[in-house]
Amino acid sequence: MSNQLEQVLKKQKQQQNAPQEGEIENVIQLVGFMVGDEEFAVPILGIEEIIKPIEYTRVPKTPPYVLGVFNLRGSVLPLIDLRMKFGLSRSKENEDTRYMVIKHNEEVAGFVIDRLTQATRIKESAIEPAPETLNDEQNLIYGVGKQKEKLISILNVEALLKRDF
Amino acid sequence: MDEFQEILEDFLVEAFEMIEQLDNDLIELENAPDDLDLLNRIFRVAHTIKGSSSFLNFDVLTRLTHNMEDVLNKARKGELAITPEVMDIVLESTDNMKELLEHIKQTGSDEGGIDVTSTIKKLETVLNGGANTSQTAEKSVVEEQQVRSEEAQKDVSEMSEDEIEAEIERLLAQRQEEDRRRREAKKAAEEAKKTAQSGAQEAQKTTESKKAPEKQTQSPAPKERKSSIEQTIRVDVKRLDDLMNLIGELVLSKNRLLKIYDDVEERYEGEQFLEELNQVVSSVSLVTTDLQIAVMKTRMLPIGKVFNKFPRMVRDLSRELHKEIDLIISGEETELDKSIVEEIGDPLVHIIRNSCDHGIELPQERVAKGKPPKGTVQLKAYNEGNHIIIEIIDDGKGLDTDMLKMKAVEKGIISEKDADQMSDKEAFMLIFKPGFSTASQVTNVSGRGVGMDVVRSNIEKLNGIIEIDSEIDKGTTLKLKIPLTLAIIQSLLVSVQEEYYAIPLASVLETVRITPDEIQSVEGRSVLRLRNEVLSLVHLADLFDVERVFNMGEHAYVVIIGIAETKIGLIVDSLVGQEEVVIKSLGEYLKGIEGIAGATIRGDGRVTLIVDVGALMDMAKSVKSSMQNLEDSMRKTEKTSPADYNILIIDDSKTDRAIMKKALEPLGVSVTEASNGIEALNLMKDSSRSFDAALVDIEMPRMDGYTLASEIRKFNKFKMVPLIAVTSRTSRSDRMRGVEVGMTEYITKPYTPEYLMNVVARNINLNVEHTS
Repeated sequence: MSNQLEQVLKKQKQQQNAPQEGEIENVIQLVGFMVGDEEFAVPILGIEEIIKPIEYTRVPKTPPYVLGVFNLRGSVLPLIDLRMKFGLSRSKENEDTRYMVIKHNEEVAGFVIDRLTQATRIKESAIEPAPETLNDEQNLIYGVGKQKEKLISILNVEALLKRDF
Repeated sequence: MDEFQEILEDFLVEAFEMIEQLDNDLIELENAPDDLDLLNRIFRVAHTIKGSSSFLNFDVLTRLTHNMEDVLNKARKGELAITPEVMDIVLESTDNMKELLEHIKQTGSDEGGIDVTSTIKKLETVLNGGANTSQTAEKSVVEEQQVRSEEAQKDVSEMSEDEIEAEIERLLAQRQEEDRRRREAKKAAEEAKKTAQSGAQEAQKTTESKKAPEKQTQSPAPKERKSSIEQTIRVDVKRLDDLMNLIGELVLSKNRLLKIYDDVEERYEGEQFLEELNQVVSSVSLVTTDLQIAVMKTRMLPIGKVFNKFPRMVRDLSRELHKEIDLIISGEETELDKSIVEEIGDPLVHIIRNSCDHGIELPQERVAKGKPPKGTVQLKAYNEGNHIIIEIIDDGKGLDTDMLKMKAVEKGIISEKDADQMSDKEAFMLIFKPGFSTASQVTNVSGRGVGMDVVRSNIEKLNGIIEIDSEIDKGTTLKLKIPLTLAIIQSLLVSVQEEYYAIPLASVLETVRITPDEIQSVEGRSVLRLRNEVLSLVHLADLFDVERVFNMGEHAYVVIIGIAETKIGLIVDSLVGQEEVVIKSLGEYLKGIEGIAGATIRGDGRVTLIVDVGALMDMAKSVKSSMQNLEDSMRKTEKTSPADYNILIIDDSKTDRAIMKKALEPLGVSVTEASNGIEALNLMKDSSRSFDAALVDIEMPRMDGYTLASEIRKFNKFKMVPLIAVTSRTSRSDRMRGVEVGMTEYITKPYTPEYLMNVVARNINLNVEHTS
């Protein structure tokens, strides 16, 4: 009996300790991709799926970066060209082009990216807020992740999905 | 009793739903006090609850909401700033409202639940700009209540049923009398607020005394209802919506399956397995159709559910207005989709109230006009194709067009010039304009002119149409035409350049084919003379900024769309056909795009947008015709010499390309080469060049000639470009396949250079004799 009790207590202790260990190693998983010459990333939990380009339908009376809408297994989703959103010229579709379907709360949209790079894990402590000069009014950059040899801009998923027209 | 119970239940469900939304809205309002839409929404909730509760004789609730409405109305007009203090009071009154509703739910009455006088007083204070303090609940009232509570203390339990009935009668009469006196007291009294507290205590006392008899009368009702409850299951609407969405998917998949079956049938004609496949495909398609109908039926409700509350409403109204009105209802068994039944209630309340208030005259007036003293309002529902028609007919004084126009000019809604040109039917429609109210004074019945424009926007939201007809002293007829279901509609598919749009068929009056010279210009606008009418025209491409990649052909089509009395002609490049489409929303990110009502997924998996006809007609007013520019660009592309013609040669063998090029030399045309299908397709899609014909080899790496041809034919602008297959494949089935994918001609290798040249020249309409 006392043995069992001891085990229960032990378990409880373990459970109490567990979250603390987690806090120490708070790691975010990111998916990296290229838009133009720059590398960006979004948290993997914000990504619904990544698909190859499919046909889309233009929607009139929208800004140029809204390419239109496309059909993802029965759902009609908006398609946004990230290059144009970032003020670059329109994407030329090639073999590496992908649509990245991103979801935040109930909002879902597809984003055109030039190329996927890699999935990385990064410690939350290695992410710094976007530098003042870079901080655009739309708040698209959540922060800058420092890695061994490079910097990676982490996008703010919520701001990406916010309609600004 | 049962009928009343049903109305009461509907009211409670509706009210609780609205209050839930109201709470969120109010909190949002504090953050954004200038949001007029939000204020309007909140105002309408108060307005609706007030309206319904006054018909159900909930005096306390009516008084509370009426004051709330007044405050919100002031805020809405910008006469009152939403300060946190004001917000506190509004929130307090919302809480009171909730408690009152809860009380009604339990006891069936709002009397004696909680005391709201202090809240009302606060509301009134806000309303009067804070200067004059309370005008309510004076001493006289307090005395009244004391007397009454003593009387009511009689031992109820010892009474017989008749006695209880009588006692209730008496109490009610007393209560009404009291209310009347209280109103008088309100006017007379000038004294300040010291009575507020004692008033509250008194109210509590009355609560206790009142509750007892009421509970007794309520108790038998639930027992009676119990038996019918078990016949049905309450299902969350969301589940039905999900089911409907899934069915939509299934319908789309079924359409695709049928298409694939057709292809397979062609390819493997006469094979044994086809018969089995056929059986499976037909049974799947049959079951899908049945399933679709079955699910649609689960969402159908008889419109009687809405109609039921009107007899009582009209009776109360006629008493209040001192008129005699008969309400005749027919077609209440007509079924409609649940979502529509819910949406149709409010507009109908407004319309019927209007008919009673403004339409039907007072009895003596009617007699003077030689009409029976009792007026009638007819409420009819019936099916017409895929629509339900609801008619509201009164035999009142009718609409006076001159008066309507005058009023509209006065209020600055239209100019005097507009008024002169207006037809009678257009003048009737003025009553639906925002800010137009013919009621010169605000009454409990006709509201504050929020009614009719809301009616119109609600009906249009349902893809419905309002028609109105009236004759002075004969009466007014309002006709609502509403689709049976919101999820699936019949649509007309049209194409403009490379884009497709679906127009709800309900708004399409007719389609005509025209040649460009039938389009005339009046004051810089394109118009079309159709029979005896002059119709203003607008090109769909101009409305939606469609990129123009090719010119209008010999013919264009005009889709005449109409809502109520206005109609316009929409020019499109071609009509694709009629199709049943499943409406999908564009989501939060793209919602509210002007002119777009939603999207649908077609059989080929592509998304097609559904146009919002109402918005389109508004947009058409501000669009300039670009017909002129079009003619200019046409002239520019006129060909003058053979070198203006551009021929695309597609072959993977360099030698073959050279042979073809040599054969075409005598024609003097320009030649472009491509070594495979993909390269050719990209060249053609590149809008900087246009090709007058293409010579296509069949066997090529990456993309063969058949695939290339079918890809090219997917574009409207390449529908007419001659595609000439040049191949050594000679079998009949190869030729057949070539025709299927859209090849114009089929040349088999080997060929003579003259033959090739002649075929090309013929296809691009070049006169060979001059050049050879």
